[in-house]
Amino acid sequence: MSNVINSNSVMQAKDIHMISTGQKVRRILAKTGTYAFLLVMALIVLFPFYWMIISSLKELSEYRQAIPTFWPQKVMWGNYSKAFSQANLGDLFMNTLYVGVVSTILSLVITVLSAFAFARLEFKGKETLFGALLATMMLPGELFTITNYITVSDLGWMHTFTALIVPFLVSVFYIYLLRQNFMQIPNELYLAAKVDGTTDLKYLWKVMIPLALPTLISITILKMMGAWNSYIWPKLVANDAEHQMITNGLRNAFTDVSGQADIPVQMAAVAIVSAPLFMVFLFLRKYIMQGVSRSGIKG
Amino acid sequence: MQRKIIAVLLSVVMLFSICTMAGCRRGQKVDNTVSITGDIDLGDDIIEISFTHTMGAKLQDVLNTHIEEFNKIYPNIKITHQSAGGWSDINGQINTEIAGGNPPNIAYCYPDHVAMYNIAKSVVVLDELINTEYKIKGTDERSGLTAEQKADFIESYYNEGLVYGDNKMYTMPLNKSTEVLYYDKSFFTEHNLQVPTTWDELWAVCEQIKAIDPECYPLGYDAEDNWFITLCEQMETGFTSAEDGGQYLFNNAENKAIVKELREYYQKGYFTTQELYGSYTSNLFVETTDKRCYMCVGSSGGASYQMSNNDTPDGTFAFEVGVAPIPQANKDHKRTISQGPSLCILKGKNTSDKQVYASWLFVKFLCTNIDFQAEFSMASGYMPVLKSVTENENYAAWLARGNGYEYLVAKCVQVGIDGRDDYFVSPAFNGSSTAREQVGAMMLKCLSTDAANDAAVDALIEQAFKDAIEECEY
Amino acid sequence: MVESKHQWKAWLYLLPAIVLLLVFTVYPIFNTVRISLLEEYGAMAEMGLDEGEYFNFGLGNYEKVLQYKDFILCLKNTAILCVATVPISTILALLIAVALNSIKPLQKTLQTIFFLPYVTNSIAIGMVFAAMFNIVDYNAENILNSQSLGIINNVIQFFGGNPISWINQGSSYMANITVMIVYIVWNALPFKILILLGGLQSINKQYYDAAKVDGTPKWRVLTRVTVPLLSPMLAYVIITGFIGGFKEYSSIVGIFGDKMGPAHDPGLLNTMVGFVYDSIEKDRQGLASAAALILFGIILVVTLINNYVIKKRVHY
Repeated sequence: MSNVINSNSVMQAKDIHMISTGQKVRRILAKTGTYAFLLVMALIVLFPFYWMIISSLKELSEYRQAIPTFWPQKVMWGNYSKAFSQANLGDLFMNTLYVGVVSTILSLVITVLSAFAFARLEFKGKETLFGALLATMMLPGELFTITNYITVSDLGWMHTFTALIVPFLVSVFYIYLLRQNFMQIPNELYLAAKVDGTTDLKYLWKVMIPLALPTLISITILKMMGAWNSYIWPKLVANDAEHQMITNGLRNAFTDVSGQADIPVQMAAVAIVSAPLFMVFLFLRKYIMQGVSRSGIKG
Repeated sequence: MQRKIIAVLLSVVMLFSICTMAGCRRGQKVDNTVSITGDIDLGDDIIEISFTHTMGAKLQDVLNTHIEEFNKIYPNIKITHQSAGGWSDINGQINTEIAGGNPPNIAYCYPDHVAMYNIAKSVVVLDELINTEYKIKGTDERSGLTAEQKADFIESYYNEGLVYGDNKMYTMPLNKSTEVLYYDKSFFTEHNLQVPTTWDELWAVCEQIKAIDPECYPLGYDAEDNWFITLCEQMETGFTSAEDGGQYLFNNAENKAIVKELREYYQKGYFTTQELYGSYTSNLFVETTDKRCYMCVGSSGGASYQMSNNDTPDGTFAFEVGVAPIPQANKDHKRTISQGPSLCILKGKNTSDKQVYASWLFVKFLCTNIDFQAEFSMASGYMPVLKSVTENENYAAWLARGNGYEYLVAKCVQVGIDGRDDYFVSPAFNGSSTAREQVGAMMLKCLSTDAANDAAVDALIEQAFKDAIEECEY
Repeated sequence: MVESKHQWKAWLYLLPAIVLLLVFTVYPIFNTVRISLLEEYGAMAEMGLDEGEYFNFGLGNYEKVLQYKDFILCLKNTAILCVATVPISTILALLIAVALNSIKPLQKTLQTIFFLPYVTNSIAIGMVFAAMFNIVDYNAENILNSQSLGIINNVIQFFGGNPISWINQGSSYMANITVMIVYIVWNALPFKILILLGGLQSINKQYYDAAKVDGTPKWRVLTRVTVPLLSPMLAYVIITGFIGGFKEYSSIVGIFGDKMGPAHDPGLLNTMVGFVYDSIEKDRQGLASAAALILFGIILVVTLINNYVIKKRVHY
């Protein structure tokens, strides 16, 4: 294992290498192109976010206008205080955080173990099993709603956090993702570890997980967002005050009698509850970008 | 790998086909009728009742105060309620809950939803509960409705519970809305225009308005499907029937002629609809500088969106909004669509008789309590279902404010109350919601597709009706 | 691959996943298959059955799905959306991820921006699109007389082009599909960037350094080094992209509303899963299950072919 770790001897090569002027110009052009491309794409990707923020500051009547405005004619900070006062944001936030954190942790454990089995271990029927798992992703999940609803109610899980967490702990989507990532890691590492007599679990913990950290963080983010956005299932199994999740609380608080939503206030509420989440993402981003170099291992 | 997967799949299918043929089945039909043989005994134990609705925060406050009132009379009935979001959300949610054998005791409903719940026979038939002369044990209160209570209901609202083709009562009306004609009263006065009461008058006014402001749409109509259904009802040309499990009657020559006429007016620029315009027609109505419309047919519940702008420095309104009933085809057969929430009582495998009785008492309380009806109406802009509701002084005062510029909601409710003899709801059965969807799509197609000549228009309409009926009968 | 002497260990690792999947995925799938074989089955209808009444067992639901007049249309829309969006979004995401990875100044800021879609509410995303493509008060005789042309048409005009109707009356099928493709690609981008960016970190830096020493042009590094090394993640993104594409439905409602098409032709953009949802709503779970399984059969075949092709190109 050690020889692999210390094999970055060519690192300084670029400093030694001579660069001609032509290459320099080309490089500058390439850099400019890269930045231009990224900036344009960033603008495109950013647009809906911008829209959410300005919508959260509009009056309902302005939001409903035929020709949308790009900046609120009258900035309604009041939407934010309304969002704070009308929905029980504190409780909703804590419920969602609890479900999000617990399900993310459990889900990560299950996903890592399964992905490891599929990527590194050899057993009979592996390919078939994996193919079958992939196949389950191809049916629209809405077909399962009634069956799962009955299962959960037969298990006596109605109106519990368990009903919100357990049914979605396993995601083939993430197992597949992590398996792909594990398979990117050269097999030699595993062989070397085997020779050294390292146990599977130790190897998994010491080598695979650090190397796959960026993907694990991605999964964490996606899973947390899942908790934040889930709507239909929580409404069915646990929509009581003690267990209500954020999206349900928000969507149901700001509607009039005809079920019409007060979108600006909803947007304000979404912005409020997303802010802490976004901070966490910013923090995690660092690990996505630095995961490998920090661990000091260059596969 | 392929072969193995296929083998596994096939064996699974086989396994379960065997299971199916052997008759695995979890359906447990509930008895949706009630038979009362003596005074209703609620006992002293807590009876838990769940209530699913679509109320926003403001209405939930009204509800909560009246649950307290209710609990003063029935302390051991515990009501928990939750909002399921919007109208389409509540339908989907309750469908799943019924299929899982676990519906709420009371639910907000539209007739189309109830028709769906009825497939599972989950909706409690109310006739026995309404008509029983037995009392509630230990009190003098009659558990059914008294003759006065029955007579106090606006009849057309009350009869909504009977539109399921079997002469049984399934729902009680809670609060209602309808379509009304909003018009720019200032403009009508200025140009000496008459507010139309028939469609013929309406088209004549459209022509006049178009002459004054050639750029405008004289009329904006929110919902194409409502328009078509209303016209079928007013002209008695047939839309659907709930008889024999439901029939689609709208594919006939008279209706095609109606649509063809509408198409001509659309081509002349006399009206637009929400879908065709690409935004809310109320935006056209409240507009003052750009292209606009001077009349707008929309839900009475949406009055606040039709308010003219008072953003001027001195706070005056751009114009006065008038509200009138929608135009009719036949003044001797006035018909206006009725919408808005009713309540139904649902029964699952675990629902006890006591829960059904308790649910009924709560439904009865909400629907017959003048104060609740009045407060709900003021908070929502919907119409109360009782004639005597103006006995509530606050409410009478609130209604009286409903003229001039500012109190459009009250004005609207008053128009809705005045039209109480004309209301109808279209028949509800398994498939009635499809019919509504399909005629909406048909209207859009017929109005907006290009056609070179008269024959092409006929062919287009013929085809659109054929497509709609095919979808309905699929 | 290493032959594990203890096969049971692998099964032990898989145990929690398998148990949960059996209960919450496999069992519902069995139920779906069962229901698809019960003619006229509906969940409500089942609750309403009298004692001794049963649904007929047979292939009636499958027949009925195949007889649906818009079946081919739904299939066609599904296929077009899939085939068009997956390559476009994958290539774009790859380019963005590689570019994000290669720059120094502004790197953090740009990365942050590409994370923002995760905290953007889906209602907001739908609204933006309505604002971008929707023409208010479409004028059939002269489109320029419409009240508002939408942002995209304004951009087209800015560059001297002619505005067209994208989703309103008078819009062509091509225009409708183009809007859907743009929307779906846009929606898919953030997720794919996240995955590929993560995948890029796992690539051995040596390869790049070696390429630098050789003076290999950037573009070649991308195709010869990055893409092959990233191929497991690319395979993932492509396959899950196809699976998602086959299930496309809510994006169409997002743009066209429940009528699933432009005003003059509602239903024009309906998809297979759109049909499934619709059937569930009408308590026709038998029909919905049959349609989903037919679609499943089709996806399975496509995925197997896909897998077969990709396997030849993926380097682990």
